[in-house]
Amino acid sequence: MEKLAEAIYGGLLSGSVLGLMALGLTLIWGSLRMLNLAHGSLYLVGGYVAWTLINWYDLPIWPAFVVGVVAAALVGLVLQITLINPILGKPGWDNASLIATVGASIALESIVLLIFGARVKQMPVALEGQFTLGTISKANQGLLIIVAALLSLFLLSAFLRRSRHGMAIRAVSQQTDAALLMGIPTRQIFLIVMVVSAALAGLAGVLLSSIFYLTPTAGFNPMIKALVVTIFGGLGSIKGTIWAAYIIGLLEAFLIVYMGSSWALPGLFLFMIVMLVIRPNGLFGLGEMQRL
Amino acid sequence: MLKVTDLHAGYGDSEVLHSLSLHVDEGEAVIVLGPNGHGKTTLLRAISGLLRPTAGNVELNGTSLSHLRAEEIVAAGVIHIPQGDLVFPEMTVMENLLMGAYRIEAWRERKQKFEQVFHLFPILAERKNQLARSLSGGERRMLALGRGLMGKAQILMIDEPSLGLAPLIIEQLYETIKEINQSGLSILLVDENADHITVADRVYLLESGVLVREGSAEEMLRDEALLATYLG
Repeated sequence: MEKLAEAIYGGLLSGSVLGLMALGLTLIWGSLRMLNLAHGSLYLVGGYVAWTLINWYDLPIWPAFVVGVVAAALVGLVLQITLINPILGKPGWDNASLIATVGASIALESIVLLIFGARVKQMPVALEGQFTLGTISKANQGLLIIVAALLSLFLLSAFLRRSRHGMAIRAVSQQTDAALLMGIPTRQIFLIVMVVSAALAGLAGVLLSSIFYLTPTAGFNPMIKALVVTIFGGLGSIKGTIWAAYIIGLLEAFLIVYMGSSWALPGLFLFMIVMLVIRPNGLFGLGEMQRL
Repeated sequence: MLKVTDLHAGYGDSEVLHSLSLHVDEGEAVIVLGPNGHGKTTLLRAISGLLRPTAGNVELNGTSLSHLRAEEIVAAGVIHIPQGDLVFPEMTVMENLLMGAYRIEAWRERKQKFEQVFHLFPILAERKNQLARSLSGGERRMLALGRGLMGKAQILMIDEPSLGLAPLIIEQLYETIKEINQSGLSILLVDENADHITVADRVYLLESGVLVREGSAEEMLRDEALLATYLG
């Protein structure tokens, strides 16, 4: 019973963070048709900027978190303008965008390594204390992460459903030519998508680095898992991605609790392979046709 | 108001439109008739900026549109309703219409625009919360037209409104187009068959990327032999 509670809590926690990471990937895939392999580095930017402000400049935790998220968004903006825009709409976009984003991630990781070194850092927790859930006792920070993630997911989906720009993001991803004919400036929309997605990655970085350590390669694992989530959820589908994040988060937590943590990644990949065999188009079976 | 002069356009090395000139006056409805594959869609795409013309000029009320991007051409008031509708499939009818009013000037007036569109196409009001992909072919065509009307159009360009629809719906659609034109909006329509040229004031015949004839709808109708030659 205790194990079960442990697994469910762990699953909700990692599902929340996966959701934040994966939604960013899915937004970019849905609108730009680009696999953003620099997504993990944006996670790093969020984490390290917040850590630096707290430890080197004695900023309180909450403002530091906000600045971390904003910094990640800004780096996303710069990446889009300097790297992505020049190759957008040119022949060979698929390969070019992959190489550009891999390049950006290598560069960002190296910068982090040069400034901070390889030694692990830990973010202080924003919310001290413990709460008890039946027989298990957990850190309040975990609860904060779950609430923050759910809130962000809710705000994002409201933005996409209700606001003029949010709807335009969906329009561009569903039918680019028609969006152009409505006078929607696609490049500006791509920029918004990149900034939102980078902010989500930054938020994941900020929230998670108090649980996991910060290292120059710390963004890699969350990104790979988020990739599994987006593929599982059907690339480009918002609803699918959110469901997939929690399913995969729970799966991972159950693997860790019942089989040991070394099973987590191999188990996930095994699951993804089986999944791709059974439902090649993802959880909701919509695949290429389904966009944001 | 819309003036196209010596327009050349094409895809890659193959030129589709060769030195094409036409004009649409204020409040006028003009049809460009021509067989499939002779450049009708290319003409509209070149005017709306989806395709960059290789030479020539497009003017709206004396201002050149040739170097503007597609979204700026929309802002200027040239609205293109594409062939095959291109609705946003995973968005509701309401959301599709809202996207037609994306430009901020139109967005501010979206409430009045809704009323106009729902008045012209009552079926869209009934279906307003349905996803566009669940609509019938005729309803989709109405949605595409309605979406175009949500913008601040000075001229509406319509690509083959009758394509793939049942005869009864086609009749209704052209009636509505006529109504839209009578409310004062200029219309440039491209069509493959001559069945509905009476909605237009003037007709051009397009053949192999060149305009070969121009005349009023009545003149063209009297010259049925000519229509038959061009359109089989």
